[in-house]
Amino acid sequence: MTTVLSEERTVPGPPSASGGTPSPRRSWRPPHLLPYALTVPALVAIGAGLGYPLYRLGIMSTQDYGLRQQFGAPPEYIGFDNFTDILGDTYFWEVLRRSLVFCLLAVALTMVGGCGVAVLLGRLGRVMRTALSVSLLLAWATPALTATVVWQWIFDTRFGVVNWALTKLGFDYEGHSWLAEPLSFFTVALLIVVWMGIPFVAFTLYAAMTQISGEVMEAAAIDGAGSWARFRDVIWPAIKPIFVVLVALSTMWDLRVFTQIFVLQEAGGISTETNLLGTWAYREAVTGNHFGKGAAIALVMVSITLLLTVFHLRQMFRQEEI
Amino acid sequence: MRSSLGSRVFANGLALLLIALSAFPVYWMLTTSFRLNADIRSPGPEFLPLGGTLENYRSVFDSDNFGTSFANSLKVTGLTVVLALFTAFLAAVAVSRFRFRGRVTFLVMILVVQMVPAEALMISMVKVLEGWDLRNSIIGLTIAYLAFVMPFTIWTLRGFVNGVPRELEEAAMVDGSSRLRAFFTVTLPLVAPGLVATGIFAFIQAWNEYTFALVIMNRPEKETLPLWLQSFNFGARGTDWGGVMAGSTLITIPVIVFFLLVHRRIAAGLTAGAVKG
Amino acid sequence: MRFKKLAAVGIVGTLFLTAACGSDDDDESGGDEGSEDSGNDSAFAAPDPDTEATLRVWLNGPDTPQTMRDYAIETFKETYPNVTVEIEEQEWDGIVPLLTTALNSADTPDIVEMGNTQAQGFEAAGALVDLTEVEGDLGGDDLLDSLKEAGSYDDKFYGLPLYAGARVVTYRTDLFAASGIEVPTDLEGFVEAGKTLQADNAGTPNFSGIYFPGRNWQAMLSFLWDAGGDIAVREDGEWVGQLADDGSVDGLTTVQDIMENANQAPADSDDRNDYIEFCANEIGMLMGPGWKSGQIAEECPEMEDKLGVFALPGSDGAVAPSFLGGSVVGISAKSQNTALAYEFLKLISSEGFQTQYAEAGLIPNQKAFLDKVTGSPGAVAQAEAAENSRFTPSSEFWAEVEGGDILQDMGTAIGNGDDVADAASTANDAIVEILNQ
Repeated sequence: MTTVLSEERTVPGPPSASGGTPSPRRSWRPPHLLPYALTVPALVAIGAGLGYPLYRLGIMSTQDYGLRQQFGAPPEYIGFDNFTDILGDTYFWEVLRRSLVFCLLAVALTMVGGCGVAVLLGRLGRVMRTALSVSLLLAWATPALTATVVWQWIFDTRFGVVNWALTKLGFDYEGHSWLAEPLSFFTVALLIVVWMGIPFVAFTLYAAMTQISGEVMEAAAIDGAGSWARFRDVIWPAIKPIFVVLVALSTMWDLRVFTQIFVLQEAGGISTETNLLGTWAYREAVTGNHFGKGAAIALVMVSITLLLTVFHLRQMFRQEEI
Repeated sequence: MRSSLGSRVFANGLALLLIALSAFPVYWMLTTSFRLNADIRSPGPEFLPLGGTLENYRSVFDSDNFGTSFANSLKVTGLTVVLALFTAFLAAVAVSRFRFRGRVTFLVMILVVQMVPAEALMISMVKVLEGWDLRNSIIGLTIAYLAFVMPFTIWTLRGFVNGVPRELEEAAMVDGSSRLRAFFTVTLPLVAPGLVATGIFAFIQAWNEYTFALVIMNRPEKETLPLWLQSFNFGARGTDWGGVMAGSTLITIPVIVFFLLVHRRIAAGLTAGAVKG
Repeated sequence: MRFKKLAAVGIVGTLFLTAACGSDDDDESGGDEGSEDSGNDSAFAAPDPDTEATLRVWLNGPDTPQTMRDYAIETFKETYPNVTVEIEEQEWDGIVPLLTTALNSADTPDIVEMGNTQAQGFEAAGALVDLTEVEGDLGGDDLLDSLKEAGSYDDKFYGLPLYAGARVVTYRTDLFAASGIEVPTDLEGFVEAGKTLQADNAGTPNFSGIYFPGRNWQAMLSFLWDAGGDIAVREDGEWVGQLADDGSVDGLTTVQDIMENANQAPADSDDRNDYIEFCANEIGMLMGPGWKSGQIAEECPEMEDKLGVFALPGSDGAVAPSFLGGSVVGISAKSQNTALAYEFLKLISSEGFQTQYAEAGLIPNQKAFLDKVTGSPGAVAQAEAAENSRFTPSSEFWAEVEGGDILQDMGTAIGNGDDVADAASTANDAIVEILNQ
């Protein structure tokens, strides 16, 4: 029976050739230099840029580090005060709550939408597929700032197409401000974020789907499996690992979303009512030059993200490896 | 692949709807780039730029630094994509094919790294680059971008490598190839779709990035396109929206070109070498 | 086992390598505020005319016209032919992180421009060279007060005022004539004129007698100050908020009156693109910078002869207090060319250079040059307004108040019809908390 999916352990390799086959009789495997050597370039690439900054991030989070310190004044060590300030601030919790809800909705919509689009791409003929791919790419490639501005124009109070269209359809939407109320503000923001996020998910999932051999798909069709069964039994297992990675990644990004919210805030609404973690952190740390607090905020955000994604990670590890 | 006429119609209809939704704002950007600033914010949307103007494009091409910014962006982005894909592929192969001590730590570590908001690291990173005298240099900015692009690329490529059965590599090794060679001759082509997807991701991240470019490349002749685009924003004096849209349109074109060059490889799939049993 | 250790060492080694290389400019190295000379007059002694060097000057945005930049370069070349002056234009957007990272490096620009609300943070941090001893040669007491305040910190002088802009009223002369209105002579008259225009032009869609978007906090300040209020004052080393006091609330109530009865601008937008609305025939009067009339004329030349400008009149018939915005320029503390940079600053502060600002519709940095401000009516009105100019609280943390959108949000709340005292009180608490951190 052909299996071309990711179940690595179905065909055990010759015990001595590959360095990674688990050998139940021995607890110590012969060391191989190769895997370490292969990861070194990546470590260097990441470590070169991030090694020192991450270290400094940890240190700065325990300091009162502002503009003066940037220019030479010695920083004062304040222990966990930055953290207690943040966690003790009721506004932080409000912003966090908003961000979690927003993130949840954004990730759900993006993943479901992206998955659907990926499946659709697989079904289309070549011309349509290229056309759809290019449109999706356009959505993805447009600079976030520009795209958000255009979306804001589309929803503009006076000159927006949406208001114009709705008025033409008979509803009284003339001069309706989409950004004034937080709920409506976040609806527009969600639309923009999901619109920008789906192409990326769709392309990556589609690429994963193409790894499923055509024969398997046809075999399933011949066996009389309906679309949904095909998806559930053939496509889903193949893309699941990538899917999980994308969920984790989308969660990280949507929790910290900044540009879209910030640009919309400049266009309307009251910022204290529409701040999410990203813009709140920016206003706290960057505009005030509170780098120490900014570092603490970053660490808090990492912790929250870790908490959110740990479930996925455990799933992934449990499923595939020891 | 056989599919009923009904489902084909449905699929195509859905595709058209999605094309409209995803392309509409971009279309709006395009039409705005052909309008005079006074007309841009006017009641009554114009869907077709009849009587349009090329004024905005002229001001884009006349602006200082468009050429150099373009070249800088191209260099940084190209370097980032190539280096990211190469090093990530190696690492992905390592974590996928071998069970070595520290593997899980490595994977978790780079994922955690991806969780850190970039802005918090900005200032320290600038200091690091300065220490190496890489401020205002293509390599310096590339190092910064690599750090943020790699974790996702490694994780994703790992998933793709997992999808290639190890038997294929082992078959090559039986034929006398070394393990490393097998990765490049057998596995690499088969994860082409993954390379394309992550390559596009890396391209777009690097091409459109603003904040780090702002503080690392602070000399005008070193700036990248996103920085150049800001020159149409006059702060308190308002913004030359026509210029911004024209500039944004031009900025988007290379990404599309890159995509068109590589997208066929997404659909490569496993046409040969599938294990038959 | 061995390999795990090797790998661990490798990783840690990478980190330490980068840490070692990266800590060249560490905090402990300390930043001295003076130049490399030992801070007395020798730091500013005029360098030898044969000096060879490159002077990097950062100017922000398009505010200083190219003609002026060329003039500065050429004039400087006459004295220092072997010095290359490079004027690089930076964008206002993102200028603070840009300066934060640039001023702290060995590759720092020599002279930088910063907004008057941003300057004090950098001054307090020691990013600029102390210019107190040469203040007299740069203009001394003749420098515009509120800008000089922005350029000073802790009684020391760091930032030379570059130019200023005061807020004035730009109006439609033809609409005034049609409604039989004269240029108002006091604040009440101004508000009445706005309402009259609003009533008379109700047929024109989206028309505002006085265009007052909610985020236009600089304009609100005039009313606040005129009524005797203020944002905050310093008493005994602490900032005391005054936004919720009677005078302030009265002034803001007048603003609300305008916003509700003479205005159709959205409460949550700002005044950046008001020139476009003006050209679209939607505005009777707007409050804005002096160069606004020039911007309107450039955008829609057919409006040019229907434009007029006047300084906002106060309740007492004299010029109302007006918010003075502008820039200062300073020398980076890490610059290697302090003496040369100082010479350039003298050139910037000279009459030849500053009067060109006047011709460009901006206010020059010294009172002596104010009467050179001629040309457009906007410039003249500005000069009038500048005589009664006021500044936001002189604190290194003011930039954070602005960045936090506190006054903008207050304006939006007022424009939405919320209770003025409440909105002011919320803003007041937030501001005081930041200023007193």
